[in-house]
Amino acid sequence: MILDMMEWVGYTILTYFVLMQLYMFYLAVRSASVLRRSHHLDRFGRVGEMLSSNRVPPVSIVIAAYNEEQGIVEAVRSMAIVGYSRLEIVVANDGSTDDTLRRLIEAFDMEKVRIPYRPDIKTEPVRAIYRTHSPIRITVIDKENGGRADALNAGINAARYPYALCTDADVILDADCLIRSMRHVVEDRERTVCVGGNVRPLNGCSLELGHLVKATVPKKMIPRMQVLEYLRSFVTSRPAWSAMGALPIVSGAFGVWKRSAVIAIGGFEVGHLGEDMDLTMRMHRYHLAKGIPYRIVYEPAAVIWTEVPETTRVLRRQRIRWQRGLITSVRDFRQMTFSPRYGRLGMVTWPGMVLFEYLAPIVEFSGWIIVPTVLFMGAINIPVMFALLGVAFGAGVANSLLAILLDESFGFYNSPKDIARLVVMALIENLGFRQRTVVWRVRAFFGGKTTKIWGNMERRGVANLGTTPSKAA
Amino acid sequence: MAAGTVMFAVSVLLLFAVVVFKWANGRRLAARQKRRVTYLKLLSQHVAAPGSTAEISIKEADDDAFIDALIDIRHALSSSSIDSLDGVIDRSGLIRHQAKRLRSRFPLGRRLRAVVSLAEIGDPGAARILMHHLKDRVPEIRVQSARGLARMRHTAAIDVILDRFHDETRWVQTRFAETLALFGRDAVWPLIAWIRVNHNYQGDGGVTEIIRILGIIGDSEVGPALAELLYTAEDPEVRIAIIETLGIIGGPLALRPLRRMIQSADWRIRAKAATAFSKIGDPSINPILREGLGDQSWWMRRNSAAALASLPGGIDLLYEAIGAPDQFTRDAAAEALADCGELIAARDRLESGKSDPRDAQLISYMHIPDPVTS
Amino acid sequence: MQNEESNKSGLKRILVADDVEAVTTLLVTALEIAGYEVVVAENGQKAYELGTTGEFDLAVIDQLMPGLLGTEILQRWQGEGIDMPVIMLSGVEDDDVVVGSLDSGAIDYVHKPFRLPELMARIRKNLS
Repeated sequence: MILDMMEWVGYTILTYFVLMQLYMFYLAVRSASVLRRSHHLDRFGRVGEMLSSNRVPPVSIVIAAYNEEQGIVEAVRSMAIVGYSRLEIVVANDGSTDDTLRRLIEAFDMEKVRIPYRPDIKTEPVRAIYRTHSPIRITVIDKENGGRADALNAGINAARYPYALCTDADVILDADCLIRSMRHVVEDRERTVCVGGNVRPLNGCSLELGHLVKATVPKKMIPRMQVLEYLRSFVTSRPAWSAMGALPIVSGAFGVWKRSAVIAIGGFEVGHLGEDMDLTMRMHRYHLAKGIPYRIVYEPAAVIWTEVPETTRVLRRQRIRWQRGLITSVRDFRQMTFSPRYGRLGMVTWPGMVLFEYLAPIVEFSGWIIVPTVLFMGAINIPVMFALLGVAFGAGVANSLLAILLDESFGFYNSPKDIARLVVMALIENLGFRQRTVVWRVRAFFGGKTTKIWGNMERRGVANLGTTPSKAA
Repeated sequence: MAAGTVMFAVSVLLLFAVVVFKWANGRRLAARQKRRVTYLKLLSQHVAAPGSTAEISIKEADDDAFIDALIDIRHALSSSSIDSLDGVIDRSGLIRHQAKRLRSRFPLGRRLRAVVSLAEIGDPGAARILMHHLKDRVPEIRVQSARGLARMRHTAAIDVILDRFHDETRWVQTRFAETLALFGRDAVWPLIAWIRVNHNYQGDGGVTEIIRILGIIGDSEVGPALAELLYTAEDPEVRIAIIETLGIIGGPLALRPLRRMIQSADWRIRAKAATAFSKIGDPSINPILREGLGDQSWWMRRNSAAALASLPGGIDLLYEAIGAPDQFTRDAAAEALADCGELIAARDRLESGKSDPRDAQLISYMHIPDPVTS
Repeated sequence: MQNEESNKSGLKRILVADDVEAVTTLLVTALEIAGYEVVVAENGQKAYELGTTGEFDLAVIDQLMPGLLGTEILQRWQGEGIDMPVIMLSGVEDDDVVVGSLDSGAIDYVHKPFRLPELMARIRKNLS
């Protein structure tokens, strides 16, 4: 009897993986058609020229900064010359203990000003506000430490334009990314509350003067695996989710938010480890529950580059943090799971997130234990097991390859070396790399509380990643 | 077993596809880039030395890279320099060729290329075809046709575009509006006539887009006609659009209706009116703006202060307002002075010993040592 | 050495700095037809470095380039005593930028999109 039960469990686990890959495959195919259609229309749409200078909605770039002395000046400077005509930059210095504030003040000749700070969202106390107008209007909010979410909230409070691009201090923005995102706002100003962008790992790319010169796939395995992961998420999942009107997460590294909407729902959740997904889901819930027409869109052509962990230690911390954030979100939004009231978000993409992201490490981990046990006890039909395993594994590789193929439309990784590295990664990913993250994610289920710390990533700073044109890998 | 084999075969195929595709695409893009550079040089020669004889064949003109280069050159140069591109291409042959492409139903990519090519080259011989495709199924083709017609100043298109306006989505309306701006002065009177008829159109009529286009075209002759509409417009969004545009083209005749608007109960209208005043530049409005510094709406206070900072005599009023009894007024004035660079200027004057008592007052107001708390 | 030769032969050397290829190609073509020698810089840093060599008779610089901004380049050149006439190009219609450029030492300011004959005339005028 127990043997039968275990056999069933074994089959279930394997079927789970087959289903997961089929779901991903469906998303990939859907994303492919979305990307193809928009590729044609964007080709000659010339979005940049189409939005002439004083008709674009003005945007405030809100940057949360903690101990970013290495690269903060370069980052702000490169954002100042992004291709957009009505822009201001707000840097929220979250109680940095290093020279971040001083470097900003010196580099931009900033003056401490007595500007009324309207706390539309409650934040930690603000110590002082600094401002300059050259080269563009930059405001620095110096506040007590409160975590990234709190810093972003303070930045949003101080932003004066109706749209806020929330991002980090170590990202490189592509020249067109703002225009391409804001085009969705112009398209439908009343309903659009958020536009998400396409994040790619910066590691291994050649930078010059804070601008991306050439994108390359990193040689080191850890960042390389992440390139593939980001491709799967940003190229083959998000376009499909967005087309369904059910995008469950807008990346914290690039999200253009309608300021009034963010304030209406109380801003980013302080102390939450996955504040970006949390804000997105809350935004959905707020509008759906109140019946307010809205839309949250993903723009695949709004590309930004950010540094991803290069060492096991930092990666582990990040993955545990992400999984814990996901756990909190699954708990917070459990009523939305399979609830028709929340449309495709509730019926398709959120359950997908719960089943195939949240539960995945647990299922996989138990699979490692149960399936060999059942096999050992001779209780499972071997050909069937291999068939299921083969399908799951093969579909996984196929999905990765599909992601690499679809990425072609962006034209970033085109040299034979890049393609080879990515393909090799797709093949060997399941030989330990991914499995390691599974262990960490299972670990995330046990112990630990939400905290206000930043998840100390050893950044080398945007400035140091490429003062001479060289590859960081 | 069979399923496993199938999966394996699919993966291998995909693998092969990936490798080949990406490599081929990479080379294609590189080749296109090289061609683009060649075309840029060729077109530059035509612009710099009109009358040079190199011609471009239909095949070359059909090239994506050529269209890219043509668009780039057009962007770099202002319109009058581009007339010299005439004679570059074997035009009649090209128009026929592209028209045929455009008429076919598929593929979308090629049709788009055809319409963009016709639009960018801007030969009046293509006008008839482009007029026809103003009614095409695909929105992007409609928009590109409109651009081409605007470039040729084919004014018959203006009414057709305006007729279609209500039926379009917001995004397409925005883009059509942009193309109307390209017609320049020729479009102004048809636009104002349309606005007169449609300014109280219920539903998403895109009226505000068209009103703003008048601001972009910048012809102040229609200022008075537009200002009159302020009295009859019901929708606050329409009023706001009119006020913004009057700021650009209104001139002194817009002052009277704007004075009424600045007393509006709707804070957005008041705030926009304040900004419009600063653009018109008439200092007679200064006393009203000074009152606006104490308005209950933050936007109105801010816009009034910013307006004063840019009007003659306004800065003095702002300095004076720093001593006002009301906190909001003081803050608004101080922020505007900081924004327009007065704070830095005052600090510099203080450091070089040439300051004024009011400099010290501004600086001490701004640099209050206690922290701003939430 | 090449510079001395061209200076002796009277050919003026012009530095063109812009990150938009169409603009640089246009200017290079037009200037070479008009008989000048042209060197191109695609970004701020390169423009600044080339300018410090002192080999140029005039520079045409874009205000908004990756790396250094046009006004920053001008300020640095002034700081190092480089006394070359500079024409600033810019696509941004901001008064602050215009005033800033002229204050920083630009001899002339041209909006993008520009009229080629007009720009050429200004170059000729500022060279003499």
